[in-house]
Amino acid sequence: MVSTIQNTDVKQKDADRAVVVAVTSRAVFESGADGDDVYGMGVAFPLLQALQRVNERLLEENPAESLLFDVVLITTDSQQQQQSSRIISSTRHYGLEVSRFCFSSEEDFVESLQKNNVQLFLSTDRNEVPQASQKGVLSALLDRQEAPSEQLRVMFCGDAVNRPDAGPMPASRQAAQSFSAQLGEMRQRFGMSDSPLSIVLMTSHGGRESCGGALRTLRSRGVNVDEAYCLAGAPLSPILSVVRPHFLLSDGFSGLED
Amino acid sequence: GAELQPLEPKSCNFELDWIKIELFFTLVCEEQLWIFYTLLLQPKPENAITIGVSARVLFNMEKEQQIYEQQGMEEYIKYQVEHETQPFSPGPAFSFVKALEAVNTRLRELYPESEELFDVVLMTNNHAYVGLRLINTINYHKLFIERFCMTGGNSPIGYLKAYHTNLYLSADPVKVREALEEGIAAATMFTPEKITEVSETQLRVAFDGDAVLFSDESERIYKAHGLDKFFEHEKTHENKPLDHGPLKGFLEALGKLQKKFYGKGQRMDCPIRTYLVTARSAASSGTRALKTLRSWGLEIDEALFLAGAPKGPMLEKIRPHIFFDDQMFHVEGAAEMGTVACHVPYGIAQRITKKGIHDKETSSAPQES
Repeated sequence: MVSTIQNTDVKQKDADRAVVVAVTSRAVFESGADGDDVYGMGVAFPLLQALQRVNERLLEENPAESLLFDVVLITTDSQQQQQSSRIISSTRHYGLEVSRFCFSSEEDFVESLQKNNVQLFLSTDRNEVPQASQKGVLSALLDRQEAPSEQLRVMFCGDAVNRPDAGPMPASRQAAQSFSAQLGEMRQRFGMSDSPLSIVLMTSHGGRESCGGALRTLRSRGVNVDEAYCLAGAPLSPILSVVRPHFLLSDGFSGLED
Repeated sequence: GAELQPLEPKSCNFELDWIKIELFFTLVCEEQLWIFYTLLLQPKPENAITIGVSARVLFNMEKEQQIYEQQGMEEYIKYQVEHETQPFSPGPAFSFVKALEAVNTRLRELYPESEELFDVVLMTNNHAYVGLRLINTINYHKLFIERFCMTGGNSPIGYLKAYHTNLYLSADPVKVREALEEGIAAATMFTPEKITEVSETQLRVAFDGDAVLFSDESERIYKAHGLDKFFEHEKTHENKPLDHGPLKGFLEALGKLQKKFYGKGQRMDCPIRTYLVTARSAASSGTRALKTLRSWGLEIDEALFLAGAPKGPMLEKIRPHIFFDDQMFHVEGAAEMGTVACHVPYGIAQRITKKGIHDKETSSAPQES
């Protein structure tokens, strides 16, 4: 059973132009003690604020801007579903720019994503992410961040290496391409410095040609990368902890360097 | 165009967890050997001697730097992208990097399995917009640089640490100071008017002593109490090792590699040679310096005690690929005579600027390094 509720506090976005990002409420809110009216701030909270900041800056540049992030909160957790009013009131309490709330079960949440024209799905659940991905929805795993940045930092992983057991899904490759193109367009609205959004490319195993190829491919899609890190086999986590992306998009990006 | 004929492909397969690594095939282009990698097996950062170099010291980006300073960021980026296929010409760190690669080649011959190699990482503040031009330039000059960080304006310091960087070279004194404060050996590199020709087969590194290899403790005494007191102090404390300075670790790393050559009977033909070029004098204050090195278990190939004489002429004879000094006076003197000299902004000398010396440290390049 899938249901959608609009948030009347927030102006609805242009359905044709907005970039719909669905985040699970379990990622955004943390269950506090019973009896609390309002949830605590979860792992994805800084991310939502960063998305919001991008929207604010986009509207500053152009008050009639329609290329904005359209954030949808999706609840798949049956426990949280029973607390739908608490999710909505918590959203309002924090003034989060969430335009819709979707409630569905674990079985049909992907259907909910597709119905809502979701272009990017973010979750802390390691099962949900590949499930959505297999059905063609661009997805990424969210993790707890130390000192998350105010600037929205999106990382593309552009390696040629194909893992034998988890190859890229062709369906979400299309989703990846259109999302990256939209992100690229958004980035163009801002100058070189002081941008509320930074697009980061990382290649973990290839050499400089691998990274160079990925830069060219992204550029051909209208995506100008701000930062590029070519690791050539160096361990990922020390570098990632300095880069601090809000999320990584590797799904659908293998072959970027072709 | 040149004739490219593929030679018989050399392939080498490693399995590292789930990664299969294919190595390289060689293309012969007239007289030049161009090695093309599809994927290169790079040493792990903690095993390698990692040298972080900024774009401006590796390559000559003077013209672009001027555009940035006079016309701003947007024009700078536009210019870079328009000239993307035009390679930069070599900068002051170029021959140093080439010499590092020559050492690596010799090390690989003797120790094919070892990861104790130099690993040069391009560590630049530039936006990735400039990335393709930098990659094209690396290709053009046939440099073996596979790792880079283009931070798009963010500080490179965190990345230097993540790569266990042993030495960081930049044109930006602010970043160099930051690195030193974080315990990373670093120096600001300057471009001489004309660069003396250096060896392509033997890496030569020259160090000043006080406040570079050693701490600035003795220099403080000299500055505060004069030369006589300095001599007296050094004589009295001759057998007390000096404390270490910011470049001691780098000398140590070089020494470790040198021993690998000695171990294979290549002491006479060692492709690494180190020099101490100090204002101390051989007769007196020099003794403490040598004893300190010995106490650290470090060897230096040649110790030159100038007893206060200018360093430029001596360096011109030695022809090091790189020279480190904490005093701008010596850095400039060296550069005037064609040596690639780097300033280590450490210790008491930084608080006292000599009259009449043009302070080049205020060049503004907040976005570029």
